[in-house]
Amino acid sequence: MSFLTGPMHFHLDGHKELTAHKEYLKLPEPDDLYIPLVNGRAACRPLVNAGDEVKVGQKIGEPTDGFWYVPIFSPVSGTVVGVEKRMTTMLKPGEHLHIKNDHKGTAVRAFEPFDYEKASWEELHSFVKEAGMAGLGGAGFPTFAKYSKPEGIDLFIVNAVECEPYLTADYRNAMENAELMKAGALALLKLCKAPKGLVAVKEDKKDLIEVLHRQFDGTGIEVAPVKDIYPAGWERTLIYMLTGKRYDRLPAEAGCILNNVSTCIALGNAMVNGMPITHKMVTVSGDGVQDPHNVYVPVGMPAGDIIRQCGGYVGEDCLLIAGGPMMGKTIPNDQFVIGIANNGLTVLQHREPFSVKCLRCGKCTETCPSGLEPVRINFAEKTKDIELLKKLDIMSCIQCGLCTYICPSKLDVTEGVARAKRYMTLATKK
Amino acid sequence: MKLTFKPSPNYRTAQSTSGIMWDLTMCLCAVTLFSVVYYTVAGGVSYGLRVVIMMAASVAAALATDAAYLKVMKQDIKKGILSSYSWITAMILVLISPIKASCYAIIIATIIAVFFGKLAFGGFGQNIFNPAAFGEAIIMNNFAATYAEDLYTGATPTTAIKAFGWLADSGKLNSLVAGYGGYGRMLIGGYISTIGSTCALLLILCCVFLIWRRDIDWQAPVFYIGTVFVETAVIGLMKGSGLGLGLFNVLAGGVLFGGIFMMTDPVTSPVTIPGRIVFAVGAASLTVILRGRSNFADGVLYSILIMNMLTPAIDKLFDGSQIKDAAKFRKYTLIASVCALAVTLLVGGLSSAKRPSSTAKPAEIPHVSAAAKASSFPEYEPSAEEISNDGTTAVYHTTAKGFHALNGGGEELNEADVTIDLATKTVKKVEITVFGDTAGIGDVATSDSKLAAYEGISSIDEVDAVSGATFTSTSVKAMVEAALNTAAAN
Ligand code: SF4
Ligand code: SF4
Repeated sequence: MSFLTGPMHFHLDGHKELTAHKEYLKLPEPDDLYIPLVNGRAACRPLVNAGDEVKVGQKIGEPTDGFWYVPIFSPVSGTVVGVEKRMTTMLKPGEHLHIKNDHKGTAVRAFEPFDYEKASWEELHSFVKEAGMAGLGGAGFPTFAKYSKPEGIDLFIVNAVECEPYLTADYRNAMENAELMKAGALALLKLCKAPKGLVAVKEDKKDLIEVLHRQFDGTGIEVAPVKDIYPAGWERTLIYMLTGKRYDRLPAEAGCILNNVSTCIALGNAMVNGMPITHKMVTVSGDGVQDPHNVYVPVGMPAGDIIRQCGGYVGEDCLLIAGGPMMGKTIPNDQFVIGIANNGLTVLQHREPFSVKCLRCGKCTETCPSGLEPVRINFAEKTKDIELLKKLDIMSCIQCGLCTYICPSKLDVTEGVARAKRYMTLATKK
Repeated sequence: MKLTFKPSPNYRTAQSTSGIMWDLTMCLCAVTLFSVVYYTVAGGVSYGLRVVIMMAASVAAALATDAAYLKVMKQDIKKGILSSYSWITAMILVLISPIKASCYAIIIATIIAVFFGKLAFGGFGQNIFNPAAFGEAIIMNNFAATYAEDLYTGATPTTAIKAFGWLADSGKLNSLVAGYGGYGRMLIGGYISTIGSTCALLLILCCVFLIWRRDIDWQAPVFYIGTVFVETAVIGLMKGSGLGLGLFNVLAGGVLFGGIFMMTDPVTSPVTIPGRIVFAVGAASLTVILRGRSNFADGVLYSILIMNMLTPAIDKLFDGSQIKDAAKFRKYTLIASVCALAVTLLVGGLSSAKRPSSTAKPAEIPHVSAAAKASSFPEYEPSAEEISNDGTTAVYHTTAKGFHALNGGGEELNEADVTIDLATKTVKKVEITVFGDTAGIGDVATSDSKLAAYEGISSIDEVDAVSGATFTSTSVKAMVEAALNTAAAN
C-alpha cells in the first residue's frame, strides 16, 4: 500500500517446525464417537436410529436446509447409540450422533468413481453437493453453493497458505495427498469456468512448492508463492496480494473464487476413492501439549482423547484452542469433538501478560488487514458512540486477532472490537 | 490441570510497551553519555558532572512524583512506576534544557511535567501534551531568571544556537556555520545547544535503531525533519542563502532531537499514519515560523505543544476505514500539508518582500547576533548574545577570534561582556572575560585605559587600533561592534 497506510499485515512466528516435518500419526480410533449434527450452519436430521448398524462412508445425516447442504457420513463402523447433547466448539450445547465403534472398519463405497473430465457441469455440481464438500479452512461453507453461479469468474484460487500459527495440517495433507489435491483442484477449476487457476502457498514452504510444481505444471493451474505474512490466507488479503484488487462483499466481485487445499483433497478423494469426508488431518501443537504432531483422526473424536494420545497436557493452566491461536476459539473443556471443518487443536500454557494502558502507538491501525482503526474502535466502544462506530466501519472486522497480537500494551484489542460489533448488532436491531 | 477460557487471539508479539520504553531509555542514555563527554571536554569535568547531576536529579524527581501520587491514590507503587515511564519524561526534559539551567529549575520542571503534564490527565496514555515539552515550556516562561544565571564561572561556551532565525543571507549563514566548524562538525557534534542536541549523527543513529526495532514509525521523524529542511531550503533559495539554510536548520537546535524523541511520542500524536504525517508537517511548519518570526528561542517545543492540542481533531479527521476512505484520507493529507507549506513559505516570502534582502536585517528577533547588522570584521567572526536586559541597559556576552585563532595558533576565542545603554545606543562598559591572545603583546589592547576608550561611543569608527596589538584590538572592536549591532537590531 501507499505510505499513508501501514502494511495491513504482519509476519508472525508460526512455530510450524513443531509439527510440519514430523510423520503424521494415524491415531487408534476411539470406542465412542460423537458426530456433530450440524456442519457450519447446516443442521442435519439423523437418517439412522438408536440400535442401527452403520458402516464407514454411510450417509447418516441429511441437512434440513437446501442452501447449507452438507450431508453427514459415518466415519466408523458400529452401532448407533442415539442423539446426545454435547458442548460444541461454538461453546453451546449441540446435538451429536453417538456411535459405538466396533473397530471392524467395514466400509461401503459412498459414491461411484467419478470422472470430472467427462462429466457435464451439472453432474459435477451435484456430485460436489452430494459428497458433502464444504470449506475446510474453518468456515464450513458448502462448496457447491459457491459455484452455483460461476459467471464472470476469471481466476480460481486454491488456498494452501495456512497462515494461522502452529497449524500445519493443510501442508501435511497436501504433501501426502498431492494427486488427490490435483484432481480436486482441476475439477473445481472446471466447475467455476475460470480460464486460469492459481495455487497460493507460502514462499517459505519450499518442499510443498516443489510438489505443487510437479503436479500442476502443464495444467491450467499455476503455483503462486506468497509472502509469509498473516493473514495471507484470508480471502481479501490473498486476493489483494495476487491480483491487487479489493472487493466489497464477495470474492466474485473481483472475479475470483477460492477454495481451501483440503477441500480439493477431499473432493479428489470422493471422486477417486468414492469416500466422503470421514477423517481429518488435525494439527495438535503448542507448548501446552507433550508431543505435538499432525494426527489423522475420524470426525467425531473428542479433543480430550486426541490430546491424551499426544502425551497429554503440559503445565497446570492451559488454553485449549479449536484451531490456531489467532482465530481459533478457546474452549474450557475438552469434551468437544473434531468436526469436518476443524484442522487444529492448539494447547498453550496460560500466562497473563503484563498489560499497561494504551500507548496510542497505532500499531493495531497499521496492521489491521481490514484497514480499520482498532484503537479508535475501542475508544468509541467505551463511550458507546454508535455514529462513530458506524463511521469506523466496524462490521468489516473479521476478528483476525492481529490487533491484539500486535498490541505492545498487551490489551485485548480484538475483544473490544468484538464487543463493539455485538453492541452495534443489538443497537441496530432495535 | 485446568483449562482456562480466554477470548482469542491467544498469541502475542514479543514486543511490549515496556520494551519500547527501555529501547528509548537506552537511546536517551547514549545521548546523555555523549553530552557528558562533550561537556567534560569542552568545559571541564564540572560541566560533565553537571549533566550527570541534572539527569539524576530529574529522574529522581520524576520517580518521587510518581511514587507520591501512587501512594496517595493507594495503588501498587512498583507496578505503577514501571507502567508510567516517567523517567523518560525526565530524561527528555534534561536533554532539551540548556546546560545553564539550574538543578532547582529542572526539578521543578520535572515535577510539573510528571504531575500536571501526565498524572493530572489520568496518567500514561491519557495526557494531551508531551509532558517533557510541557514542563520545559513552563520553566522557560516562569523561571527565566534561573536560566540566565550561570552557576559556573570560567570558560562558558557561548555560541548558543537557539536564537538564530531563518532570515539570513548567505554570507552571514556561511560565517555562522563556519563558527560551528562547518556542516561536518555540526553533524558530528561539538557546539553548544540544548544538552541533548549536541551530536546530530548520534541522534540519527538512535532514530534508525528505533525504527529498526519498530519502536517508532518512520513517518513522523522523516516528515518532520524533511519538512523543516524543505521549507527552510526554499526560503533560503528565495533569500539567497541557498540550500544551506535548510541543512543548517535541520542540524541546529532541537529539530533532530524533537523530531526523533518528541514528535514520535505516540501518546500525544495521532494514531493513524496520515494523521501522523499531518501532525509532523504541521509541527515542522510551526517550528520554521516560530524560529523565524517569534521571540521563542527555538520553535521546536512550542510547535509540538501546539500540534498536541490538535491531535484529537486530527484523529477525528482520519476516523474511518483506511481502505474504503483511502481517497478521502489522501485528499485530507494533501490539503493539510499543502496549506502548512504555503503558509510557511508565505510568511517567509512576505518578510523578504518587505525588506531588501542583502543588507537590511529584520528587527523582530531579540537576542540575535546572527540577524543583526553585518560585522565590519567578518574574518574575526564576532558574535554577541544578550545575557541581561533591564530596559535601560543590556549586557551582551560577545566572542571573537583573536590573534591565535586567526593565525592558526589555536581555537581559543576572546570573550567580553559589553554593557550598552539602550536609550542612546552607546557603550557603557567593556570587560574582557576570557583572553586567548598572547600575554604581553595583546595585553596592551585590553588594559583598562584602552578599554575605557570605548565608553560612550556609538560606533567603533571612533576608536583607533592599538599599534603593536592590531589583532587583539581589532578583535575587541569586533566584539564591541557586535554588541552595538545587536542592541541596534532590537
Ligand atoms: S480483529 Fe478486526 S479490527 Fe482487529 S486487526 Fe483483525 S480485522 Fe482488524
Ligand atoms: S496497538 Fe495497543 S497500544 Fe497500540 S494503539 Fe492499538 S490498542 Fe493502543
